[in-house]
Amino acid sequence: MLKVSKIIVLLITFVYILTGCTTDSKNIDDQAYAIMVGIDKGVENKIRLTVQFPTYKGGGNGSSSGAGGGGGGSEEKESGQIGGTVVTSIECSTVLEGINLLSTSTTRHISLFHCKAIIFSEQLAYEGINFYLSDFARFRETRRIATIGVCRGKAEDYIMENKTLIGENISKSIELSFAQSKNSGLFPLVGFTNFYKSTISPYSQAYSVYMGINNFKKLENENKGQNPPLKTDEQYYPGEVPKKGNKKQEMIGTAVFNGDKLTGTLNADETRYFLMIVNEFKHGILTVEDKKHPGMAIPFDLRPGRKSDIKVRFDKSTPVIDINLNIEADIVGIQSGMHYESLDKIKELNGLLKGCIEDEVRKTVEKVQKQMGTDIFGFGYYAASKFLTIDDFEKYNWVSHFIDAKINVSVYTNVRRTGLMAESMPVRYRTKTAK
Amino acid sequence: MIKEGKFGTAEATYLITLVIASKTFYTSIRVMIKNTGTAAWYMTLVSCLVSIIFFLLISLVMKRFPGKNLVDIFQLVTGRFFGKILTLVFSAYYVYYAGSSLREFLEMIKAYNLPYTPPSLIIFAFMAVVIILAYIGLESIARLASVSFYPIFIGIALILFLAYPYYNVRAIFPIGGYGIEETIKSGFFRSSAYDEVIILAFIINSIDGVKTFKKVGIYSILISGVAVVFTCLCNIMAFDYTMASENVSDLFQLARVIYFSRFFQRIESIFLFIWIIASLITVGLAFYIAISIFCKAFKISNHRPLILQFAFLTFMVTLLPEGLIELAKINIVVMREYSMIIIYGIPILVLIISVIFGKRGDRQCLKSVK
Repeated sequence: MLKVSKIIVLLITFVYILTGCTTDSKNIDDQAYAIMVGIDKGVENKIRLTVQFPTYKGGGNGSSSGAGGGGGGSEEKESGQIGGTVVTSIECSTVLEGINLLSTSTTRHISLFHCKAIIFSEQLAYEGINFYLSDFARFRETRRIATIGVCRGKAEDYIMENKTLIGENISKSIELSFAQSKNSGLFPLVGFTNFYKSTISPYSQAYSVYMGINNFKKLENENKGQNPPLKTDEQYYPGEVPKKGNKKQEMIGTAVFNGDKLTGTLNADETRYFLMIVNEFKHGILTVEDKKHPGMAIPFDLRPGRKSDIKVRFDKSTPVIDINLNIEADIVGIQSGMHYESLDKIKELNGLLKGCIEDEVRKTVEKVQKQMGTDIFGFGYYAASKFLTIDDFEKYNWVSHFIDAKINVSVYTNVRRTGLMAESMPVRYRTKTAK
Repeated sequence: MIKEGKFGTAEATYLITLVIASKTFYTSIRVMIKNTGTAAWYMTLVSCLVSIIFFLLISLVMKRFPGKNLVDIFQLVTGRFFGKILTLVFSAYYVYYAGSSLREFLEMIKAYNLPYTPPSLIIFAFMAVVIILAYIGLESIARLASVSFYPIFIGIALILFLAYPYYNVRAIFPIGGYGIEETIKSGFFRSSAYDEVIILAFIINSIDGVKTFKKVGIYSILISGVAVVFTCLCNIMAFDYTMASENVSDLFQLARVIYFSRFFQRIESIFLFIWIIASLITVGLAFYIAISIFCKAFKISNHRPLILQFAFLTFMVTLLPEGLIELAKINIVVMREYSMIIIYGIPILVLIISVIFGKRGDRQCLKSVK
């Protein structure tokens, strides 16, 4: 009998403990999971915090049906309902206080466990963002895998446009849109961990994706009667791509930091070459003008042949940095129809590509080095091996010397394949009629 | 005399290795990187080396008194009164060790997983398991360790492997850390983090004598040393020495940031599983050893009636620090940087006394072994 009573007491004890009768037990359904957080400079307080979370309605994953951004009813718009999500903004002194305050008007606890992105406005980023980053770094709900971005304009406006046009799941949509970095090579993908690490690192400085809103005003509607020139460069910043339709959100370019302060930005082209140096370039299309046929383009599908080979040495106390890139390319089009697929012509193409990439890489490094005075390439990691102790390295102050560093760039290109065509046949009757 | 059962070389190695290597889950890695920077990973090799040297010295004591555990040796060399006092110092230390380790576990689980759960509830739940472990005895703890050893080490290896996208090998430079002097100094004192190997001297009769004792001790130090080296290296490569000095638990942080795709992320549940089992074995063994030493000193044949009393003492120690800061600055520093003074110092002192006074195990001792 005593044994039975002991077992009952034990069972009751364990039922109490194991069923999670504690203040930490939370049902998944009891929480609203913030998927995007934006931080702007406040008007009457330090910051304006914008949080977006799904409403679990219409398919449960933030369906784009209904409001569709600005298209919903006025009541929905007022309550911030955007494509199956709620976007809410608040002025507050700190991020976590803001979320706490938002709980007063939300039916569920706002959780940061599944936050996909933290976006800072450009204005705030110029003033320094470590005050807000450290909140996220310390708070246990943030997992440090959220993507960090800097928004041209207001972060609030960017989040207001965050909806999915393809598929219903907004979380999936956000993650896949960030993964486009690997397909285009026109913006970097930086998670919280690496970003935060770089803000406190003596080796390397931080960078993040540069994003903004495109109002579709860059696309000229009328033909001015002239043949348009061939523009192969992609010197676009967010909001400047000449396009119409699709999402207004645009991620293009790189936000460059010194410490925790934004010091400048790289456009799409520069970002591509920057990513090549830091081994983050996976592949992307680069269009080069055909020198033998001006006005005609040759697009290449580029990918890294090998990891970039970087060496840092010192000439007295001045650093000398050798950057060797190995880039492979496939021809994906020859507009002129010229037979570039022969051995000697391939060499010409290699030369053309090498010259183009080498020149642009050099310009990009110089821009970051001289204009922004920061090392987002992580050359400091290579320089560190020349020092014996951390004290020596910190005393040397790598970033201050990097500004004066001599940079040597060498690019090896190899046009490997010619797509699905082994040879180009010229168009026969372009200028005269067939008889 | 208390009956502790017998277990093999492998089980003893698993047990001691787990107890030593469980520190990788806690604040140890952070403190090592904070003190020695990029040199932390080889600083721990210095600690291993120092520990092996001290351990070999202690094995000389054990060799002089075959068939005797350290409690008996203390009494044979210094007399019953001083022997008991020395033994009580060890017993008190292991109560302190168990309580502080439990508090470290509590602080971490509150920081990462259960911030609002009352601490007493966590302590009670944890202590309940520890009491059961102590109740069923040393042999069962060793068997549990041998069953858990591979899952725990595979779990650690998995976390370290899956975090490789964060690694930058060049972050281990400047290779000298904060200087060779600081590295050697820290390495010497951090040998305290390996001093759980002394437990073997108290349970020598369960592991078949001095030869096994020596083998198990050296293997345990080396295997746990390798685990600490790799954990340190991976954390330095992932977070640089700067950020790695900030995290409460570097290994937990590493597990939290693993991200491969939408479908493969948030795998720290592996960490939780292995961390809790390793912590239970560590605290369970320390708790048991504290009781066992006490029983051996006072010739108590059954340790079970003492379990609740010692559980109360451990609970008190757990509640001593005000918070994480006090725990990290006092308890953990004592355990992992200065405990060697007692743990290695006392047996070596006893060795010196026994050499000076020509004391060694008698024929009866040898006979009892044979």
